[in-house]
Amino acid sequence: MATSNGQNDAFKIIDLQIMVESKWLQSDGGYFRPFTRKNKCGVGRVTMTNAAKSWIHGDESAKQILARVARKRPFLLRPPLHRVPLRVGNVVEIVGPSPSAKTHVLMQAAISCILPKDWKGIHYGGLECLVMYFDLDCRFDVERFTELLKHCIMDCNGLSNGNPKKHGILSESFHDFEDLFLSCMRRFSYVRCYNSLEFLSTLKTFRCHLQKENEKHGVGASFLMIDSISAFYWTDRATAPFPLGSTVRKSFSLSNVLETVVQEIQRLFKVQPMLLFATKATISGDGSVTSELKRNRGLSKDVSELKVMRGFQKDAYREYMPSIWQSFVTHRLHFQVSDEDLDGSSCENKSIFQFEWLLPSLNVFEKFEVADAGIFMLT
Amino acid sequence: MPALNGLEQEEVTAAPDSNFQRFCAAHGILSVEDFLLHDVYALVALAEREVNSEELKQGINQVLAFIDTQHKPWLNGLELLEDARQNKHLLPTGCQGLDLLLKGGLLEGQLTELVGASSCGKTQICLLAASNVTYKHMSSVVYLDTCNSFSPKRVAYFIGVLNPTLKQVRCGILERIMANILCKSVFNIFELFDTLDQLQTKLRDQARSSDHKVRLLVIDSISSVIAPILGGNMAYGRSLMISAGFLLKRIAYEHNLSVLVILVSSAYKELINKCIGGCLDENVAACVVTNHMVGGNVGSLKPALGESWKGVAHTRLLLSRVNRTNKCSISVLKHPSMARGNSVDFLIPEENF
Repeated sequence: MATSNGQNDAFKIIDLQIMVESKWLQSDGGYFRPFTRKNKCGVGRVTMTNAAKSWIHGDESAKQILARVARKRPFLLRPPLHRVPLRVGNVVEIVGPSPSAKTHVLMQAAISCILPKDWKGIHYGGLECLVMYFDLDCRFDVERFTELLKHCIMDCNGLSNGNPKKHGILSESFHDFEDLFLSCMRRFSYVRCYNSLEFLSTLKTFRCHLQKENEKHGVGASFLMIDSISAFYWTDRATAPFPLGSTVRKSFSLSNVLETVVQEIQRLFKVQPMLLFATKATISGDGSVTSELKRNRGLSKDVSELKVMRGFQKDAYREYMPSIWQSFVTHRLHFQVSDEDLDGSSCENKSIFQFEWLLPSLNVFEKFEVADAGIFMLT
Repeated sequence: MPALNGLEQEEVTAAPDSNFQRFCAAHGILSVEDFLLHDVYALVALAEREVNSEELKQGINQVLAFIDTQHKPWLNGLELLEDARQNKHLLPTGCQGLDLLLKGGLLEGQLTELVGASSCGKTQICLLAASNVTYKHMSSVVYLDTCNSFSPKRVAYFIGVLNPTLKQVRCGILERIMANILCKSVFNIFELFDTLDQLQTKLRDQARSSDHKVRLLVIDSISSVIAPILGGNMAYGRSLMISAGFLLKRIAYEHNLSVLVILVSSAYKELINKCIGGCLDENVAACVVTNHMVGGNVGSLKPALGESWKGVAHTRLLLSRVNRTNKCSISVLKHPSMARGNSVDFLIPEENF
């Protein structure tokens, strides 16, 4: 009897342990320090007693919930992201051909995140938070980013043409700008990945980096950016699922990679909720869609019908990413090069693009132009 | 990436012990790739149930420490800017119109793409840029030639224009300058990968020695090695194409050299395609590079390699030539900080015998 009792106790303990584990799997990070100081990154210990106690007591009081929810108000972002309120935890996908100013929109959003709200009496209206930028396309141009940021700072000071000397500004305030600029640039974190393996490696050890940055700056990250999520689409699609011998082993396929990416980001959001922006390039010439269209159309020589088809093709948006990613996306914008711009009627150093909200579907086409100083809406 | 039992050879971390390997193998993890696809938190939860959970968690930490060495370091905006200001300069091509348009020249660390119909002066610009970089900047140029269009005579002529006294002096200065242009013929995509791989090793060695630095890599033209592998519904060809693009960007960025890629525009026989089947795969259309005369009257020319390649280069320039003259015009199709449509006209110097 004594032995069986002991066994029962042991089972109870295991049960409790499982319960606690499932608890931290849900709320993540509260009782569990993922990265100990000894190893650069790793997994720490669960403090059992505290965990069990807080399991019995609730997570937070209603007052705390209210305070937390009230803090997580939607961001006020600059156009073209102004139509729909975006909050932390949302996944915004920006779709469009290359080039359609996708990266520009990301840059502009990043700038509004790293700028402070107020600085030395001048209102900048930023969030003063960190931005984490994953560059999978490896085309980020830091000079352009710098230029945009400087334009923004000058704009807020009422100096639109970006030359402080012209306006007779003292060198002191120029140093102020420099300080502000430096502190903003430090809040921008950047990594480039050349393939999916590097991307996954970065994501797996991302929490460690995030924690270090948080401690360094004393503020959290608000925006997570991935430019672009479809960068490795073709390379991953071509890695054929070869027989791996064992059924438990996962093959390195596109859907498995994206499943892991989505999973990692979801886990991350539980510890530190952020607003995720991901760009995606449209690729026509995706075999399955074309062949389907071919089958549906058959032979047709009617020119007017061709025109309709062409218009349809230009505006239509085709999804090609695996469903795991599609269901992760909460908001979607579709960017296009505007017809005006294609006709060559626009001169000077600016390009005109148009965009539409697909998710939520607003059915409104709006236009914006990209000039030296940034993005401006055209009404 | 290595197998889990091969980690000790990597010398980054202590080898995970055999217990840990057995534990991982039971959950289908045999290599670091498998580990990357696996949920670490689920794995930790599983490890907690084992008797030797501490040991297993130690093992997980070791693998994570290894993974942390497998990605590029995080940089903040300032570090990024500092690297760009120190190592990524503008490289003048010597073609006045182009330099004017690009505000100084090709940017090191980036991929510039030159698009145009055949015989509109793309190769001329490449040769001119190569001669200018070797002569004026005393640096090396790597020239990958896929269609036998490299002409040493023309390079000698361009250098002669830059310094007319060279022709008279017969002490081999011209030869020494020309020796800095390393030309290699490449006829298929695999040769291209092989050559780029060798180049990478060479550039790594070069970082230590103080030889002539390679500052420009020209590929004339990339579409003729990539177009043959595209087409059909197979992802394989496009996968190679995108990999080549990433390799070029990596070489450009890590070794601070400017990459100039040539792309032939191919006829996009829009109307014909539409009639045949709604929308034929663009990449198939791109394969018909030699057919561009056919499409002249009905369709418009468009860059080869289709939609997926569009996202590869940083800058895309369209070159066109006024009929039977040496007057050319370059316009921006895509640029990180310039609007599309900016254009400039210039003349290609003709040789006087």
